[in-house]
Amino acid sequence: MQSPSASSVTAPRPGSPDPAAPAQPIIQLDHVSFSYGRGARRAVDDISLAIAPGEFVGVIGPSGAGKSTLASLMSGAIPHHYTGELYGATLVEGRDTCDVTLTDISRIVGSVLQDIDAQMVASVVEDEMLFGLENFGVPHQHIEKFITAALDAVGIADLRQREIATLSGGQKQKVAIAAILALAPRVLVLDEPTAALDPVSSETVFEILRALNRDEGITVVVIEQKVALLSEYCDRILVLNEGRLTLDGTPREVFAHSGELRAIGVDSPRTARISNSLAAAGLAPAGQPCLTVDEAYELVAGVVGASGGVGATDKKNTSYGARPAPVSPAASGAPAPAVAFEHVGFAYPAGGAAVTDLNLAVYPGEVFALIGQNGAGKTTATKLLNGLLQPTEGHVTVAGHDTRTTPVSVIARYAATLFQNPDRQLCKNTVLEEVAFGLELQGVNVVEAHERARAVIGRFGLPEDASPFSLSRGQRQMVALASVVVLKPQVIVLDEPTSGLDYRECMTVMQTVREMADAGSAVVMVCHDMEVVSDFADRAAVMADGRIIGCGTLDEVFANAALMERAYVAPPQVAALSARLAQGVSPAFANISEVAELVETVRRLAAERAGGPAAGGAGSAAGPDAGGASAAASLAAAPAGTAGPAVEKHAQEDADA
Amino acid sequence: MLNVIDYVPGNTLLHRLNPVTKLALAAAIIAATFLASSYAALVGLLVFTLALGLYAGVIRQLAGLLKVLVPVALIMLLLQVVFVRGGAPVAGFVTDEGLYTGGKACLRLLGVALPLILMLTVTKLNDLANACVEKLHIPYKYAFTFTTALRFVPVFSQEMNAIMEAQTARGVEFDTKNPFKKLSLMLPVCIPLLVTSVAKTDSTALAAEQRGFYLRTRASSYKRYPFRACDAAAFALCAVLIALGVLL
Repeated sequence: MQSPSASSVTAPRPGSPDPAAPAQPIIQLDHVSFSYGRGARRAVDDISLAIAPGEFVGVIGPSGAGKSTLASLMSGAIPHHYTGELYGATLVEGRDTCDVTLTDISRIVGSVLQDIDAQMVASVVEDEMLFGLENFGVPHQHIEKFITAALDAVGIADLRQREIATLSGGQKQKVAIAAILALAPRVLVLDEPTAALDPVSSETVFEILRALNRDEGITVVVIEQKVALLSEYCDRILVLNEGRLTLDGTPREVFAHSGELRAIGVDSPRTARISNSLAAAGLAPAGQPCLTVDEAYELVAGVVGASGGVGATDKKNTSYGARPAPVSPAASGAPAPAVAFEHVGFAYPAGGAAVTDLNLAVYPGEVFALIGQNGAGKTTATKLLNGLLQPTEGHVTVAGHDTRTTPVSVIARYAATLFQNPDRQLCKNTVLEEVAFGLELQGVNVVEAHERARAVIGRFGLPEDASPFSLSRGQRQMVALASVVVLKPQVIVLDEPTSGLDYRECMTVMQTVREMADAGSAVVMVCHDMEVVSDFADRAAVMADGRIIGCGTLDEVFANAALMERAYVAPPQVAALSARLAQGVSPAFANISEVAELVETVRRLAAERAGGPAAGGAGSAAGPDAGGASAAASLAAAPAGTAGPAVEKHAQEDADA
Repeated sequence: MLNVIDYVPGNTLLHRLNPVTKLALAAAIIAATFLASSYAALVGLLVFTLALGLYAGVIRQLAGLLKVLVPVALIMLLLQVVFVRGGAPVAGFVTDEGLYTGGKACLRLLGVALPLILMLTVTKLNDLANACVEKLHIPYKYAFTFTTALRFVPVFSQEMNAIMEAQTARGVEFDTKNPFKKLSLMLPVCIPLLVTSVAKTDSTALAAEQRGFYLRTRASSYKRYPFRACDAAAFALCAVLIALGVLL
C-alpha cells in the first residue's frame, strides 16, 4: 500500500549529530505529525525524538494519546500500511521510512502487535518461527540454529511442536516475541505486550525483554500501561498526551512529576507517590522518587528512624479508623447474601480449568475481589455466577435463585456482567439503543427504557447518537458500563473491568462500581491489577488451582505473605511496603494499604520523633477520613468522567504539596 | 473443545504422505464418488474413507463430522423422496425410485465431505500450503489466503461463543428452545463479529508483511516435500479408485 501524502518536507535533517552523542540514533523522529485520513485529528502531533542503540524505552500515556500510532511510525506500518497525512521524517538507521519498503524496515525493526492472535500466521509454533526466516531468505543450514536460539532466549523450547491455539495468553506472547527475535532485529517495538497477562506472566515478559536488551544489545521500545513494570525495567520513559511528547527522561525524572502525570491520566508507581508526598511535606528530598519497595523502605526508615515500639498502641485506631467501608457485613449478621456458592464444583467436559469446592457469600453493598493467577479458575467462577455455566456439584444462588433451575436470561435480570472486552457486548447502532437494550430485554417499555438510558448516558458524558463502534476503546467500555448501571442490578459481575483502560478511565469505571455497591449492589470482580483491588475492594478471595485458598478482608489477605506466594500474586506495593515497615520500623505501619494513610503515618511518627506528637497526629487523622466522607457524599452527585474518592485521595496528596 | 479440522498429530503412513498426494487421494475418492453409480461402490468408498480415518487415528473427528452431516443427509433424502415422483409407490407418497436416488444423494454428500476433512486432519496447514506452492506451483499468496481462512475458523468460532455468552449474560434469550427465535437473535451478534474479524484480518496482513511476506518465493520453504515411493503407490491407488468409479 502506498501512502498518498508521504512526507517530502524533510525538515532540518539532523545529519550532524552533536559530538557528545554516543552513537547515531537507531530511530529518529523529526517533527513528525500524522492523522488517519484527511482533516482528522492529528493522532501524533509534531513529535521529535531520537532513540539510541541499546536503549530500553517505555512509552506511556492515556488512551488516544497516540502511543500505538507512534509504534506504527517506528515500525514503518505508517506510512506503508496505514494511510493518512504524514508530515516530518521518521528515520530508521538514518534512512527515511518513506523511501524504504516496509519489508526492509522490518529487517531492522521487529514489531509485536497488540492483538496477539492476529499476529500469528501459522498454526504450529515451529511454523510460526519458520515463516519470517524463510521469507527473509536465511540460508537453510542456519535456520535450525536461529530457531533454537530464539526459543531458548524466550524459554519456550518445549513448546516448539505445540498448536498455537492450545497455548495460554502468556505463552502466545512469548511465541510472538520469539518469532520476531529469530529474525535478529536490532529494535523490538511492542504494543502493550502484557495487556492480557497476569502479573507473574507480565513480569516474565519484561524479564525476557531485559535479557535481550542486556545480552543481545537489542533496542527495546515498549508501550505499556503498567507503571510499576515500566519504572523497574526501562532506562527511559516517554509520556505522550494528545499526540504530543509531554515528558521524556529516566523513570526517576518522569515519576518525580506524579502530579502532572495524574492530571493527564497517567498513574505513577505507588512508591513514587509516597516519596513525592513525603517530599512535598518536606520530609524527603524532592525530585528523587522511589521506584521500588526497597527504596521506599529505606526512605521511610530514614525519615521515621528505626524507633521500634513507638506508636504501637495507636495501631488499631489509625489503620482501621481510616477504612470507612463496613469491613465484614457477615459479622453484622443482618442481610442475606446476594450471591452464595455452596460446595460448588465444575469441570469442563474437554478438561482444562476446573473448580472444586468453592464456598462464597457476597453481601449487598460490598465489593468482593477474586484474585489469583491466570488459569486459577476465576473466570470459571464468574461464569458459574451469571449462569453461563452450571455447577456439576453444589449450588450457586444469585439473589435467591438457584442457577441450575433458572434460565440465564432470567438470572440476567438480577446479575449484570461487565466483560473484559466491551466489543463482545455491543451490538446496536447507537449508544442510546445500546444502553436501553438491557432494559428492553427485561420488559421495560421502549419509552421508559430510553428515558432511563438517557439519564445514565448524560451522567457518563457519552454521545447518545454515535455508533458504539466508532468510539475509542475506553469509551466503548464506558458504554458497556452504562448499560450495566442503567439496570440497577442486585449483583454486578466484573471480569477484568479495567484492562486496556488508562488510569483515568480505570478510576471512573471503578468509582462508578463503588457507587453502585454503596447504593446496595453486591459486586464480584476478577482483577489482575492489585492496586485497583486494594483501592476499591472490601474483601477478597484468593484462588489457586480451582480452589479458594484464602478469603478475608483486603488487609488480612494482602498481609498474609504465605497465601500471596502460594497464589503467585504479588501484593500491591503499599501493602508490601507497610508489611516490611511494620516488621522493621514500627508496628504502626501494619495493615496499611493506601498511599495517603501511609504518608500520614510517616508524618505522625516523624513528628513524634521530633518531639511534637500532638501537631502531626491530630491533623492527620482527619485526612483519610475526609476522603471517606467525600466518597459517601459523591454518591448523590454522580460525576461525569471524573473520579471520586480515589482521585480525591490523590488530590489530597497534591494538597499536601 | 474439539474442532473437526484441527490437525491430529500422528506418524502413520497417511500422515507421512506428501500433502499433495493426500490432496490427490481425497480428490480421487471424491471423483470416484461422483462417477460411481452403484450402491456397492458408494458404500465401499465411504467404508474405505472411514477405514483410512480409523487407521490414522482421526475417527473421532470424522464421527463428529458425521453427527452434523447425517441429519443434513436425511433432510436431503426426504426432499428427494418428496420430489422424485417416478417408479412404483412403496408406501404413501414414497416411491422406490425416490428412495433409490435419494439414498445415493445422501451417500454422495457424505462421500464428498469426509475425504476432505480426513485429509485436513492429517496434514498441517502450513505443510499443505508449502507443498502446494512447491509441487503445484500455486502462488504463495493464494495458498496463504486459503490456510489463513482455515486457521481463522476456530478463532472466529471462539469469538462467536464469547459474544453469545456476553449477550446471554445481558439477558438475550440464547437459551431459548426455539431454533428460529435463536437464529433471529443471532443476526445482531454478527455485527460485532464482523467488526472484530475485519480488524483481525488487517492486523494479520500487517504482521505477515512485517515478516517478509512479499519476499517469499517457491524456494523459500525450509521444509522440502519430495515425492517418495509411497507417494507413487498412492497415486496408483488414486488411478485405481477413479477407474473403479467409472466401471461400477
